[in-house]
Amino acid sequence: MNSETLNTLDSYSKNKYKYGFVTEIDSEKPKKGLDEDTIRFISLKKNEPDWMLEWRLKAFSKWKKMKEPKWANLNFPEIDYQDIYYYSAPKGFDKKPKDLSEVDPKLIETYNKLGIPLEEQKVLAGVAVDVVFDSVSVATTYKGELEKLGIIFCSIGEAIQKHPDLIKKYLGSVIPAGDHSFSALNSAVFTDGSFVYIPEGVKCPMELSTYFRINAENTGQFERTLIIADKGSYVSYLEGCTAPKRDDNQLHAANVELIAFEDAEIKYSTVQNWYPGDEDGIGGIYNFVTKRGLCAGKNSKISWTQVETGSAITWKYPSCILKGDNSIGEFYSVAITNNFQQADTGTKMTHIGKNTKSKIISKGISLGKSQNTYRGEVSFLRKADKARNYTQCDSLLVGNQCGAHTVPYIDSKNNTAVIEHEASTSKINEDQLYYCRQRGLSHEEAVSLIVNGFCKQVLQELPMEFAVEAQKLVSISLEGSVG
Amino acid sequence: MFLEIKDLSVKIENKNILKRLNLNINKGEVHAIMGPNGSGKSTLANVLAGKEDYEILNGRINFKDNDLFDLNIEERAQEGMFLAFQYPVEIPGVNITPFLHSAINSKRKRMNEEEIDNLSFAKLLKSKANDLGINIDMLKRSVNTGFSGGEKKRYEILQMSILNPDLAILDETDSGLDIDALKIVTDGVNKLKTNDNSFLIITHYQKLLNYIKPDYVHVMVNGSIVKSGGSEIAAEIEKDGFQKFQ
Amino acid sequence: MNIQDNYLKNKKNIFFSENKDIQSHREKLINIFENDRFDKKNNESLKNINLKNFIDFKYKYLIPEEKSVINNNEKNSYSIVSINGQCSSYKDDKIEITKILDEDYNDFSKNDIIENNDHFVNLNSLFLNSGFKIVIKKNNNIKIKISNIITDDDLTIFQKNNYICEEGSSLNLIEEYENRNNSTSNILNVIKLEKNSKLNHFLIQDNSPNHNLIITTHSSCKNDSTYTQKVYNFSEGYVRNFHYSELIEANSEADLQGIFFLKDNNTSNNKTFVKHLAEDCKSNQVYKGILNDRSKATYFSNTHVDQVAQRTEGYQLSKGVLLSDNASYFSKPELKIYADDVKCSHGSTIGPIDENAIFYLRSRGMSKIAATKILISSFINEELSSIDNEQMSEIINKKLVRYLSKVK
Ligand SMILES: Nc1ncnc2c1ncn2[C@@H]1O[C@H](COP(=O)(O)OP(=O)(O)O)[C@@H](O)[C@H]1O
Ligand SMILES: [Mg+2]
Repeated sequence: MNSETLNTLDSYSKNKYKYGFVTEIDSEKPKKGLDEDTIRFISLKKNEPDWMLEWRLKAFSKWKKMKEPKWANLNFPEIDYQDIYYYSAPKGFDKKPKDLSEVDPKLIETYNKLGIPLEEQKVLAGVAVDVVFDSVSVATTYKGELEKLGIIFCSIGEAIQKHPDLIKKYLGSVIPAGDHSFSALNSAVFTDGSFVYIPEGVKCPMELSTYFRINAENTGQFERTLIIADKGSYVSYLEGCTAPKRDDNQLHAANVELIAFEDAEIKYSTVQNWYPGDEDGIGGIYNFVTKRGLCAGKNSKISWTQVETGSAITWKYPSCILKGDNSIGEFYSVAITNNFQQADTGTKMTHIGKNTKSKIISKGISLGKSQNTYRGEVSFLRKADKARNYTQCDSLLVGNQCGAHTVPYIDSKNNTAVIEHEASTSKINEDQLYYCRQRGLSHEEAVSLIVNGFCKQVLQELPMEFAVEAQKLVSISLEGSVG
Repeated sequence: MFLEIKDLSVKIENKNILKRLNLNINKGEVHAIMGPNGSGKSTLANVLAGKEDYEILNGRINFKDNDLFDLNIEERAQEGMFLAFQYPVEIPGVNITPFLHSAINSKRKRMNEEEIDNLSFAKLLKSKANDLGINIDMLKRSVNTGFSGGEKKRYEILQMSILNPDLAILDETDSGLDIDALKIVTDGVNKLKTNDNSFLIITHYQKLLNYIKPDYVHVMVNGSIVKSGGSEIAAEIEKDGFQKFQ
Repeated sequence: MNIQDNYLKNKKNIFFSENKDIQSHREKLINIFENDRFDKKNNESLKNINLKNFIDFKYKYLIPEEKSVINNNEKNSYSIVSINGQCSSYKDDKIEITKILDEDYNDFSKNDIIENNDHFVNLNSLFLNSGFKIVIKKNNNIKIKISNIITDDDLTIFQKNNYICEEGSSLNLIEEYENRNNSTSNILNVIKLEKNSKLNHFLIQDNSPNHNLIITTHSSCKNDSTYTQKVYNFSEGYVRNFHYSELIEANSEADLQGIFFLKDNNTSNNKTFVKHLAEDCKSNQVYKGILNDRSKATYFSNTHVDQVAQRTEGYQLSKGVLLSDNASYFSKPELKIYADDVKCSHGSTIGPIDENAIFYLRSRGMSKIAATKILISSFINEELSSIDNEQMSEIINKKLVRYLSKVK
């Protein structure tokens, strides 16, 4: 590699994180550590009914007996679960504020800085946002308008109070508490997150979005999201995340469950930009996320799109259980790792019903000293007649100190089903760089352009409002300068 | 002097390709280089554009009062050097329009000119595409991706007319074009031609030179220019081939 | 009986059990078994294996009465019949055949590419009771055909063979496994290719249902050498084909290919693993399987590219055809890449025979079965047509015809 390329690479790794500021705000926390008292504290703070507390305690007793899953290609020191705060709320949040005048102006300012204005007159046009700060939901926009259509969009805490029947029936139905240790942990201590219910036949007219922010130090964020799309309905949901720069690693272990009934469609997009740590690998979020969707009904569809650029560690496999006949699962992913970041991400497509289809497009880009792994499983069970999967995973290496790994598991038990899988790994194409530079683009611009092109198949799946943002984010994670 | 190549010797992978090559081009001139396959024509074009795989053994190149070797690839481009590639590379996922838009703006930035906005650029692109008989739909596609050989060449010329270079090097832009396309492409070149810019046209057929009248024709064999003169040389080559120059 | 007791009881029948170093190595192996207990959950390469046959087995070995036969009828061409994994010694100016020695054991046990996590290789080291070593001398061009014969029922053969291709040599090696008795072979081939040498290795496997074959190769390639392996598995009994290759010096190549044909209740486990440890090396891993009835197969492939291994080209392909509702195929094509200037890819497809193609052939008047058979043949046509040895091509075609005759 010539010296110029090396210089450019060097400037990339001096990546600056623009969301790294801290909001000085008093917060209320229980003691550090995890035991039944912590869980009782959370449940009490949330004013939860007894059945919810029971549910949490059951999950906790499962968690105590479990070990962390070990399959991922990740290297990190053991997590000390007793050295974490499990709840943190800005003071005065015993009840969710009724409107913005009750919200601490510092919080509003925080979100303004993050580009998520909460004031009604400024809210993102066409996007309803639920905003979660540490452990509590701060505000939900456009609520009234959605209610007219019968759509429920609120914090999960509120849903437990107001829609106990739905929660009792569906919470944990896709990801059982005992699935693995992170799902058990989340089930025991989850604090907030979003709840969405789209009634039969309703096409949700706007994007629903949750914005997660970890602010407090040494605090885990354990959000829980549940989205139910009833027969024939449609919803597109987007999640974004940031955290301040801190030298300690912080734990984020979310659970997201999706259920799509007959003819329903859920599109779930994530732009994950948690603090990734600095260029020496100090600090950053440990992002252990379980996301699973159930295509319960005939002709249902669940589509995951993710752009993962942040976090010191990403451990995440948004999955689809394709149970209904003719149901469709999709997974589109861009994962960029730089410096000492590690990502082990992919999907799991389980074909149960007849004629089920799945598609996986994964693009991994490794820079610096990072390790980037695609791990995916496609399985066709006995009854999945005529099921089909197409998988394409491509990796790009920029620099010679990083790693790119592809670990697909392919399992077919049905002789009418067809699986096609393709993967490639290569370095950034020197001829393409030369061509772009001959037209006058700088080396950095050329790399950014080519990488964005490499990711296009995925980025174009994002809702319009966010596609441009995501493209910028991709460039930023490569460049180091904020655009 | 506009472009001055003096005693240039170039090596790649232990193979000497250009050997003490000399060439001078003045403002407003059109030069043609003809030579058999493998004589080093594309190598010369790539060395001028700054491709990094070559080892310069000897010689110097001056371009618009700069020592060319002081400039990297993009700086040369921004200074007004344009290479229409013999084999344009496909760049999947990178859309033509924003690609060219950033290219023109990086040149304007260097020249301290105002950047051109989205709308005016789109207009400019459309009208130039029209001139070259390029379907507007093509502008929605990724750079060179899935283009036929002829489409690639036409698209190179489109980029040239947008970037309006001081020195345009056309590396076998004529090959792979049918007669109609050749007319359109050479029309594009002739329209662009002024007294302030220069062209270096690489070809190994005389056909192209029926449409673009060169001021000088050079014969390149085995890494050196063995003969220079007017368009009569092209006719000689057409008749007898390169044999007698070797 | 547990593994340790089994070993202690049969020690007198096992190679090198007097050697102190080897003893202590084996104690380590026994510890690994004790700790791991063949935990299927944490070791996917044990998928589908009926472990009982292999852990809780009755050890039995007979030293063959007859000497094995070595023929050198044609110039540069040898045929060997190995009996119960043994081979007589032989020497001329081109090749040398000897027993394996303690030092060969030690040399291999230092190697960590497959040690510790491959239990069957460890079992082989522990119960080793046969094997030989063949050296192809410098600059010779040799053909060897080895037929493996097992004399009695219930034998458990643990065999280690060493092949060394000296500088500039070239070997064409054909191994035939066609056992008809109720026995188990666990064979480890350790292959070293010196500079500029070449080995074309063919393994033809066609055992009866009651014979289990576990075969593992470990090859390592020095500068400019090429190892090519082609496995043809027609066995009706269990076969495990695990083949590891290390490209330890620049410009070397490994090409690991296999095709397998399964039916009834049969199972086959396959793995290829290429480790690129030097610059400018190439590798190829291609397996194709046809599964009928209730058969099951796994195929793991892995291209590992070390940080120093710039300009690597690595290619993998895995293809499976399922002919029945009850067959199943699991594949895991892995890439682990730590160098940036690489071109690596893999492809994998699993599915039925293309229905459109069947329809097309039927519309030309062919019966459904005939069409199916033609399409199976065309699925592996590339592999079959690339066999440049006429005699072998004939043998393999016969076996294919036999397999196809059972397809309904
Ligand atoms: N990257 C390269 N590595 C080795 N040889 C090269 C390379 N590029 C060009 N050459 C050799 O240099 C010579 C000149 O090539 P080129 O400049 O493309 O010729 P022309 O354009 O006149 O046909 C040819 O012999 C070609 O094989
Ligand atoms: Mg050329």
